[in-house]
Amino acid sequence: MASWMKMIALFSLVLLFFCSSNAQSCVGPTVEATSFTSTDANLAMETTFLVEFTLTCKNAAKDLVLHADIGDRQFPVSRSADGIHYQVSWTEEHKEAPAGSYDIRFFDDEGFSALRKAQRSDQDVSAVSSLFTITVHHRGVSQGPWVSSPTVAAISAFAVWLFAYRAKRQIQD
Amino acid sequence: MAAGKKLTKEEELLLQDFSRNVTTKSSALFYGNAFIVSAIPIWLYWRIHQMDLFQSAVVFGVMTLVCTWLIAFAYKNVKFVLKHKVALQREDAVSREVMKKLSDADSKKMSRKEKDERILWKKNEVADYEATTFSIFYNNALFLFLVIVASFFILRSLNPTVNYVLSVGLAGGLLALFSTGSQ
Repeated sequence: MASWMKMIALFSLVLLFFCSSNAQSCVGPTVEATSFTSTDANLAMETTFLVEFTLTCKNAAKDLVLHADIGDRQFPVSRSADGIHYQVSWTEEHKEAPAGSYDIRFFDDEGFSALRKAQRSDQDVSAVSSLFTITVHHRGVSQGPWVSSPTVAAISAFAVWLFAYRAKRQIQD
Repeated sequence: MAAGKKLTKEEELLLQDFSRNVTTKSSALFYGNAFIVSAIPIWLYWRIHQMDLFQSAVVFGVMTLVCTWLIAFAYKNVKFVLKHKVALQREDAVSREVMKKLSDADSKKMSRKEKDERILWKKNEVADYEATTFSIFYNNALFLFLVIVASFFILRSLNPTVNYVLSVGLAGGLLALFSTGSQ
């Protein structure tokens, strides 16, 4: 009986070890990020934001469950198989996403539940400390050139014709 | 004029001055230019409107030939209208130039009639050249303007082949029509 108890205690310890290793938090994160934002308003209905980053922790934590907070919305961050590459993407209405810098805050599970708690209780969410922040620069969307090339061609052709017409009138008068 | 009476050189020149007929050289210039200008829209429809060059070769060929004829017709008409006006404007300058070129000896030898003939001939040549080149310039400018407006604005919703036929035909037709006016 005593040996059974020992076995169960050992198994529990091992289980606890694995559980804790899965939920480990990142200490001293170093982030290398690249980002992309769409800039064409004619081809796309909404502006797309995409952030990719590599996360290295001092305690070599891997396979972290991360959440991104873009201010009014939160998204889960997807993770590659090697456990250090992460990616998050979202879309926004063109007029809701003007040109400028956007600070994206990233949270682990613990931080994210603190954030949700602050949201539920209407507390200041910016007070909740994030794991790290990535700044995304968006150039803004363009609607294409102000004057289309056929218009330019038509105006130029009209100007040449007008010149020819005036010269013709001059000869005829 | 009585039948069978031979025309004098001056009368022939005057007739040439007032006739609608153009010289072979002028005609070659007109048709050559008209062909080049009516072939320009092919590039527009090939590269911009994405028409296939080989599949639409027949349409391109036929419309280019039709347009060449219409544009050459417009060249001739505009040239005819302008020639007299140019001749009137250049008359004094041409006669001055011709008189200056004649040496004193030649001037004394020549009769008044011969001098006038020479001035008339020179005037005809100058007016012909100026009216020809101006007519080509004016009609080219108008044709290309009409093609651009028709293809990109008026007929933009139609498929490229219909757009090509209509816009090139319309531009050529309007050009020929405008050229028949005296103003």
